Amino acid sequence: MKNDIFSKKIISPEKALIVIDNLNDGLMVFDEKKKLCFINLSAQRMFGVNREILGIDIEEMTNYPGLKEIFFLLGKEIKELDKKELEINKDMVLEVTSLSLFKEEEKLGYLVILHDITREKTIEKMKTDFVSLSAHQLRTPLSAINWALDTLLKERLGKLNDVQKKMLEQAKESNQRMLILVKDLLDVVKIEEGKYLGKLVPSDFLKIVQDVIKDYQEEIRKKEIQFEIQLPSKKLPKVKVDPEKISSVVQNLIDNAIRYNLRGGIMVISLNFDQNNLFFSVSDSGIGIPKEDQKNIFSKFFRASNASKLETEGNGLGLFVSKNIIEAHGGKIWFESEEGRGTTFYFSLPLK
Amino acid sequence: MAKKILIIEDEKTLRFLLAQSLIAAGFEIEEAVDGEEGLKKMRENKPDLVLLDLILPTIHGFEVLTQIKKDSSLESIPVLILSNLGQKEEIEKGLKLGATDFLIKAHFSLDEIVEKIKKVLSL
Repeated sequence: MKNDIFSKKIISPEKALIVIDNLNDGLMVFDEKKKLCFINLSAQRMFGVNREILGIDIEEMTNYPGLKEIFFLLGKEIKELDKKELEINKDMVLEVTSLSLFKEEEKLGYLVILHDITREKTIEKMKTDFVSLSAHQLRTPLSAINWALDTLLKERLGKLNDVQKKMLEQAKESNQRMLILVKDLLDVVKIEEGKYLGKLVPSDFLKIVQDVIKDYQEEIRKKEIQFEIQLPSKKLPKVKVDPEKISSVVQNLIDNAIRYNLRGGIMVISLNFDQNNLFFSVSDSGIGIPKEDQKNIFSKFFRASNASKLETEGNGLGLFVSKNIIEAHGGKIWFESEEGRGTTFYFSLPLK
Repeated sequence: MAKKILIIEDEKTLRFLLAQSLIAAGFEIEEAVDGEEGLKKMRENKPDLVLLDLILPTIHGFEVLTQIKKDSSLESIPVLILSNLGQKEEIEKGLKLGATDFLIKAHFSLDEIVEKIKKVLSL
């Protein structure tokens, strides 16, 4: 079986070399003593070197710009890597893979594959910048509409009749929804950029939850929800979080538990903790999540089929953002649900 | 005596709505459409508080804030940033430069802004 393609003359070693040289990906091979014994054309072009470089020890790579960065990533031992992103300089981002080469049991050396993803990264950045910019631009007129409606609704400029008032309230509600959508879009962009959480500070989790509930008193009353909060007998310890972000997760889950609940339904919020984690859950007796939709419920822009039928509101970003926030804190988020019976969402946050 | 608020904001509509609301709350209002005019009016009239937008023509709001904090006659005047920027880096930078607080326009109602101002001025 050895050297099958060569021995059967499917391809000569010379031709194979040409193929390897012409691959788009850069390839470098180090022998078992970690000396560079092969570098294909693509890799030579990436770093502006030629075959004269062959034979150098891996540590000597620090003498060449670009290769230096590769060395720092691989280390003296040539770590195994799977598609690790590496910014060589402003104009080049590579995805580096490295693995050991074996022939039967004998170690022959190491293969390093360099995949150029500069273009993908540029496009990704352009997309991010575009969304950020447009979201900021959208906010200015939205703020103006919001404030104008506020002023009219305060009746500072004259009394409104009931129909006028109702209409303006609805306009304000629509505008609020738009503001939330813009905020969620910005959050998604920040999540995708990987810079999302603010400073983690020791926080009073119960207070965060209570503040959110306060904002929902009116909705709970309007929908005649029977609401209960279950607390542990011992005082909750402080937990290190970004309070604003965690508050938005709690808000999102409570909002869902009310929105997708039935009139007169039940909502139970429960807080608890053990040595390692703090736990939050909110149960409702609402429409539930259909089985076939459950696997997608945390996906961006996804909405369960029965949810979109019932409510036109909701943009399918809330749970995606929530999941990212909880996981960025090192916590977990999950749920149990039965269609027509209700849903419970849980999350945990590490205490250490 | 009524407290004097300087609004530095280039968007006419927002400036108008803010002014309306602050006048109704009993404040005296001064307006500036960009950073230069804002700094000039601050030096002339010494307001009790400044509402500062960030994306402004000519000088960026952060630069305006830096100049306010460098000027010994102005540095004690509280500055509330009122902007539609609001990424954490921007908020951190604003506070580090000496802003009293950072309000994101889209997330605050006019009443909440008035409340914030009253709180800062201990009214």
